[in-house]
Amino acid sequence: MTVAAERAADVRARGLTPIWACSAVGFLLVSLAVGVLAGPVDLGVGGVLESAAARLHVPGASTPLSPTEEAILWEIRVPRVVLAALVGAMLALAGATYQGVFRNPLADPYLLGVAAGAGLGATIAIAYLPEGLRGQRALPVAAFVGGAVAVMLTYAVGRSARRERDAATLVLAGVTVAAFFTAWQTFVQQQNAETLQQVYSWILGNIPNTGWSDVVLILPYVAVATVVILALRRVVDVLSLGDDEASTLGVDVRRVRLALVVAATLGTAAAVAVSGLIGFVGIIVPHAVRLLSGVGYRALLPLSVIIGAGFLVLADVIARTALSPAEIPLGVVTAFFGAPFFALVLRTTRAGVS
Amino acid sequence: MIELRGVTIALGGRPVVDGVDAAVAEREWLALIGPNGAGKTTLLRAVAGLVPFTGSIEIGGRPIEELRRSELSRLVAVVPQEPSTPPWMTVAEYVLLGRTPHLGPLAKEGRRDREAAARAIARLDLVGYEERRLGTLSGGEKQRVVVARALAQEAQIILLDEPTAALDIGHQQQALELLDLLRGESGLTLVAAMHDLTLAAQYADRMVLLDTGKVAADGVPRDVLTETLIAGHYGASIDVVPVGGRIAIVPRRGTRDT
Amino acid sequence: MLRISALVALVAATFAVVVAGASGGATSHQTGSQASFPVTIVASNGKVTVARKPRRIVSLSPTATESLFAIGAGVQVVAVDDQSDYPKSVPKTSLSGFTPNVEAIASYRPDLVLIAYDPKGLSDALARLGITVVHQDGAKSFKGAYQQIRQLGLVTGHESEATRLVGRMRSKIAAIVAAARRAGRGLSVYHELTPDLYSATSKTFVGKVYEALGLRNIADAADSAGFGYPQLSAEYVVSVSPDVIVVADTVCCGQKPSTVAARPGWDRISAVRTGSIVRIDDSIASRWGPRLVNFFRAMSSALARLRQ
Repeated sequence: MTVAAERAADVRARGLTPIWACSAVGFLLVSLAVGVLAGPVDLGVGGVLESAAARLHVPGASTPLSPTEEAILWEIRVPRVVLAALVGAMLALAGATYQGVFRNPLADPYLLGVAAGAGLGATIAIAYLPEGLRGQRALPVAAFVGGAVAVMLTYAVGRSARRERDAATLVLAGVTVAAFFTAWQTFVQQQNAETLQQVYSWILGNIPNTGWSDVVLILPYVAVATVVILALRRVVDVLSLGDDEASTLGVDVRRVRLALVVAATLGTAAAVAVSGLIGFVGIIVPHAVRLLSGVGYRALLPLSVIIGAGFLVLADVIARTALSPAEIPLGVVTAFFGAPFFALVLRTTRAGVS
Repeated sequence: MIELRGVTIALGGRPVVDGVDAAVAEREWLALIGPNGAGKTTLLRAVAGLVPFTGSIEIGGRPIEELRRSELSRLVAVVPQEPSTPPWMTVAEYVLLGRTPHLGPLAKEGRRDREAAARAIARLDLVGYEERRLGTLSGGEKQRVVVARALAQEAQIILLDEPTAALDIGHQQQALELLDLLRGESGLTLVAAMHDLTLAAQYADRMVLLDTGKVAADGVPRDVLTETLIAGHYGASIDVVPVGGRIAIVPRRGTRDT
Repeated sequence: MLRISALVALVAATFAVVVAGASGGATSHQTGSQASFPVTIVASNGKVTVARKPRRIVSLSPTATESLFAIGAGVQVVAVDDQSDYPKSVPKTSLSGFTPNVEAIASYRPDLVLIAYDPKGLSDALARLGITVVHQDGAKSFKGAYQQIRQLGLVTGHESEATRLVGRMRSKIAAIVAAARRAGRGLSVYHELTPDLYSATSKTFVGKVYEALGLRNIADAADSAGFGYPQLSAEYVVSVSPDVIVVADTVCCGQKPSTVAARPGWDRISAVRTGSIVRIDDSIASRWGPRLVNFFRAMSSALARLRQ
């Protein structure tokens, strides 16, 4: 073996190492277990396991739970845990992606106006849809469309800017569009003040009890977004050098950025459509992973998916058990963790470790 | 190798580069000199395909507008004036980034890529630094890492923007000697914007003096670095001193022409 | 996220309306004989003296609107707010009780304005314009609700009608309660305000209706903080399996017995299995006026059906 070939073994980019992958997956599995076992109704570990075995048609297994308990477990609790995992994974991934694409450690998945657009869509649906449709799934669709339109508008505004069309311009366009949509949303809300409680509740964010239907609804979007972003994760590391250097390294910066933003946005819009605006997940999780591991996006993106899922499942457990049998809006729980966490991030980044 | 004809670049309405003609032969070291704001950086960026221009820039006879980004970056590597060195990245990862033009967006580095990076690391005397994070390196070490990345790119042309601006005299010499050596070994063509006229004179084969976007002089260092030209374009009074077959520029104190 | 602080203020105030303000009590004095003015009452905005029989009343409170028309003061009403929708013939305008515009209110040249909610110094502003304002917060109890109706009778010159109305309400409700209490004993109820399971405990006005009927309110266990309007977890509702579900979000949120029954896991609930899901128009469930009787009636038929 030549000298160069020998030394080539030392030249490695830190991908998702087995240790980190196992720890992350372990964390997720523990969260899922806690999620499925926790709740106002105590089902017992054995009960849950046997019920699961029976569902999987393991020969000889039968469920010790009553029909009501079965329903609670499989129609309310498990889909809720799965939904929380999907939403958490998507928000964390989108947040990490935006942080990489825009080279901004404070970027969150709502950066380009998705939140404001979805909020407007939801408010319009709540305020103006005829009675018959309101109880149906029109609300998530409206929120999704609103979010997507907002981001498209952000891109349009960004492209029409006469200054250099770089990442910073896009962020500014996002701020503009978000402000506009928020103003409009507030106006609609005020015009229909009796819907205040509903709108506010949606904005705070929660994981709904809609069973498997919401899981099926958002799974395709989250799956596609995740696949696209993870496929491009090495390029995100190149993007962290800035548009110019990335270009000189052969990356079509605009196209890659567009692909990443579209994927992250679609996934985020889908998540927001069913769960409202759950804040802080998109910032806390990527930063926590970065603080603990110091890795680049090649590893950070897949880790964010796994840990984001676990994180939101645990946050939802707190939301539904802390004041049991009453619920705390999930957005309140994540904010509770978010604020002190921000302080921590500020301290450590100011110390020069970014 | 590189041919510029009538290159004009307007930024914000004013021409920053105005009708520049220049040529760089294969394996040549061309130094771009000129006072601040002369358009050196902008010109380099144009050759790297980063800014739009009117006129023609050809590399190996092919106009760069016709090259796809990945093709261009396989031909031209850039060492910027202020490279972005994410503190959390390791040296190995950073140098490996130089292989990006040879990978598609979905591809992963293969053995060839890791070997190219390992060779670049060895050339720049960075063996043992592979797992060090960029944030822990000194200025000189960072400079070597950036050059290593450009080397790993295995491009025929390297554009350097003030490659020694932040280095002390020892590291300056080290870096430039190395570049010259690499040029000989790998047959590289170098175009460097340099502010230190003596160093430029010592290492460059040819020089182009830019002032307010126009070519004021083009030739071997001896012909470009004259008292009149320097006084006229830099507003400085100097003495040209022959040293070991080349020249050095020494600032002259005393009465200055007003 | 910046919107939240503005929203919190509005939502808190909105809840304050329904949760009932501090001073719901009132003593009514009258000087002189029946139906004569001036008359002084004590409302949520303190002592209010109405000098003459009002001829141009503006009501920004849907509950007050219902009461006014029920006691025969409807002819004196010139404008009601955009949420007042009962009876059908009320002079509805685009005035808002939540975000009132003082000038718009004043443009109707009212001599008496009734409000249930006093945002941003509305009553002070109207007072400065020389307009009499009576602020009647959400009632905390049936007694409070009756008192408000009587007060309205006093200030509009319909004291006897008001007294008769209150008497009728009292007796009707008493009869319903007597009959239904036996039917309701031992049964539990879930009152739904929104599809994301916000409910109302026994502390609230609507909760008192269930209390009177002898029903156990499942929201009570979930309200450790005592705010009155906890959000319940779906698991809890399913596991507790209430015997009656009252759907009070039919108008705002398109909920019907069929949509409630279709929720995952809810088919196990007792109320769903026996079909004891009561639809209550949102406004009946959220007001404390004459249609309280309708609410009681709806509940009593549901309970009667249940016992069969």
